[in-house]
Amino acid sequence: MMFWRLVFQLLRGSRGRLAVAILAIVSGAAVISALLNLDLGMQNKLTEEFRSLGANIVIAPPNAPQSPDVGSAAPVLYDEDVLDIGIQSVRSPNVVASAPYLYIIGRAAGTPVVIVGTWLDELRKFEPTWQLDGSWISSREDNGRCLVGRNVAQRLHLKLGRSLELAYADRNFELSVAGIVDAGGADDNQIFVNLPVAQKLAAKEGAISVWQLSVSGTPGNLSDYTTRLAGVLSQEEVRPIRQVTEAEGSLLGRIQFLIVSMVVLILILTTLCVLGTIAALAMERRKDVGLMKSLGGSISRIMGLFLAEVGVLGAVGGLIGAILGVTLSYWMGLRVFGAAISPRWEIFPVTILLMIVVAMAGALPLRTLGDVKPAVILRGE
Amino acid sequence: MFARLVKESFVRNPRRKLLTAAALVVGMAVTTATLTIALEVGDRLAREFRSLGANLLVTPESDTLPVEIGGVDYRAVDEGAYLKEADLGKLKTIFWRHNILGFTPFLDVPARIIPSTRSNTEFVTVIGTWYEHGVPVPDGTTFKTGVSVTHPWWRIQGRWFDDRTDECVVGDVLARSYPGGITSGQIINVEPFRAEPGGLSRGWPLKVTGILSAGGAEDKAVIVPLSVAQKISGHAGEFRQLFVSALTKPADALAERGERAQYDKNIQLTPTEYDRWFCSPYISSISYQIKTVLPGTDVHAIRRVAETEGRVLDRVGTLLWIVTLAALVAAALAVAATSATTVLERQAEIGVMKALGASNALVNGIFLAEQVLLAIIGGVIGFIAGTALARILGTSVFGSPASPRLILLPIVLALAAIVAIAGSLLPLRRAAHFEPALILRGG
Repeated sequence: MMFWRLVFQLLRGSRGRLAVAILAIVSGAAVISALLNLDLGMQNKLTEEFRSLGANIVIAPPNAPQSPDVGSAAPVLYDEDVLDIGIQSVRSPNVVASAPYLYIIGRAAGTPVVIVGTWLDELRKFEPTWQLDGSWISSREDNGRCLVGRNVAQRLHLKLGRSLELAYADRNFELSVAGIVDAGGADDNQIFVNLPVAQKLAAKEGAISVWQLSVSGTPGNLSDYTTRLAGVLSQEEVRPIRQVTEAEGSLLGRIQFLIVSMVVLILILTTLCVLGTIAALAMERRKDVGLMKSLGGSISRIMGLFLAEVGVLGAVGGLIGAILGVTLSYWMGLRVFGAAISPRWEIFPVTILLMIVVAMAGALPLRTLGDVKPAVILRGE
Repeated sequence: MFARLVKESFVRNPRRKLLTAAALVVGMAVTTATLTIALEVGDRLAREFRSLGANLLVTPESDTLPVEIGGVDYRAVDEGAYLKEADLGKLKTIFWRHNILGFTPFLDVPARIIPSTRSNTEFVTVIGTWYEHGVPVPDGTTFKTGVSVTHPWWRIQGRWFDDRTDECVVGDVLARSYPGGITSGQIINVEPFRAEPGGLSRGWPLKVTGILSAGGAEDKAVIVPLSVAQKISGHAGEFRQLFVSALTKPADALAERGERAQYDKNIQLTPTEYDRWFCSPYISSISYQIKTVLPGTDVHAIRRVAETEGRVLDRVGTLLWIVTLAALVAAALAVAATSATTVLERQAEIGVMKALGASNALVNGIFLAEQVLLAIIGGVIGFIAGTALARILGTSVFGSPASPRLILLPIVLALAAIVAIAGSLLPLRRAAHFEPALILRGG
């Protein structure tokens, strides 16, 4: 009882100097927790950004033959349903988009063209960077409309809403153009239809060429997911698209390393600042120490008092600072990523504990006063 | 007299100044390091992003529709338009020539492999390209480029072909799936595929020098030097597609206006705007400049790559500025807190001065002058330490040191002085209100 009353009195006694210390602790804790929260949240957000690169995992038959015949299907593999069930069985929250693709080389208005059968509702998630004139098709059952690449539209003089006849061998389909895609790449030369349309054109029910997935997450998550998928689909070849995964992995690694090393520098600086302030505060307490000693207090008890004092300071300052910091990082997330970075609860104990430890470490110089005669201190040396 | 007072105060009792000086040095070192990195990170990361490969695609303007699946063109060789290989050196003459890191022409030839012993044939695509090819530039120099620059994720087992010989590398999927397998050192015969059967049936013997793993459709193809593909297809000196890898700056409002002004008559750039657009390495201005030196082509940004790059660079840039700001705040805090404590510690001294008749202004002057002196010394040491830190950081993150920025020195010094003064102002003001007698008594 007596101990805590003393601690309270000590805290109340020197409000002015404590204000400096509290300010240092609160701002230090705010900076530390904001940066930690930002750093932990950043990787997730950045991997999501990288998903605009498109698919990064492809499931294909191990030995697909090729044939360049116009009018024949490009490599056709197996059953759509078998793959679908296999992929469904490996659940992961990181899958951004997943869809089967069937490529056939058919004819549109007499010109050979690549027709891509897929799930058009997933296409948008695969390719957020595509610029679309018109509208996306939001249902994979919509068999009456298609998206055409920019070059196709230009070459065949297609306009939005016009109808387009797709032919393959002796079968044909009449579709209306819902949108014109500007992708900057091979996709500009293709026509995108829903999977059943392409399958009926090719007269290959349930057939697909490849299955593509866009999966977010760290390189570790990705290879883990690929391995799990390969375990389920042992007949097929599950491989990451190296162009995307390698570049993404190396870039993420560098960015992460850069930010982490800068954060560590700031952590050290902030810790030093708090340490210095507390040490200065401790040295000011010399007189108190002298007084207590002359009144018969043991040095361990005096140290206990002071440690409790700075411990309380560290805890309170750390808590306030952590709340401030997490709020700050929430706001920064909105500014940087356009999406809030949710607070990580583990940051609170970490920040508070760090502040208590640092504050107590700052109080340690006081121990050296244990050997000093009270009279010398009280005289004001 | 004032100078002597300051000097005396500064030189005596150096132990006390040590804390402030240390805080200044560490604080300014971190500030300098983060600022140096933040200034450079855009350029460095943009270069790193080139590991994604090309961000511009050049195709003939009046082409038939490419029948392309997974990066392989299935069109017969006598269909569609071609570009001239001889023009490629002009790419290194545009305004932003130094930002063109590399370019690679591609010529796809549908073909089949004629086995020497078996009767069955295998359809393949023969892709003609460069690995590391010297391109003569009009200014007399040679520029080395090829898939080694634009497709850095391609891995080879064995070695790449020599550009001048009849050699090839084979995709790993094809090498595995081909009956009997294909290994390095083997000779394969390829023959261009013609739509009508019974066409020319002359095989081209090619020596396999390596097995390619590209992670794409190239894994099922035979990759040959461009000159070989030209001979096989009968299109000497021509190619179909050009992949260009260029260092660019993330697009902003001006970049978009500049791009749209090229085909939209309603958008007109003022001459100043046009100059600014032309002289910024936007992807739209670089593609415009490429189009001017290669007439008859369509130059398109590969959106997936270009936009991802732009967005990530923007985000990381903002993030880094926030971290830099945090470093500044932390540094300011450290310096201000220690300056405040030094002034507090010296209240007794202030009391003596005031008792001897010094005015508040004089006391403040002496202390502030001392703080500024400290700030300059601490700032210079901090700047040197921070530059060294940035070098280490740059080397470990990007493989080459961040170059020192002298422009930061005055900024850092000014910052240090401001922070040190701000930190001592409050305690000095409080000290001004104290009665000298009270302080001297030790209350």
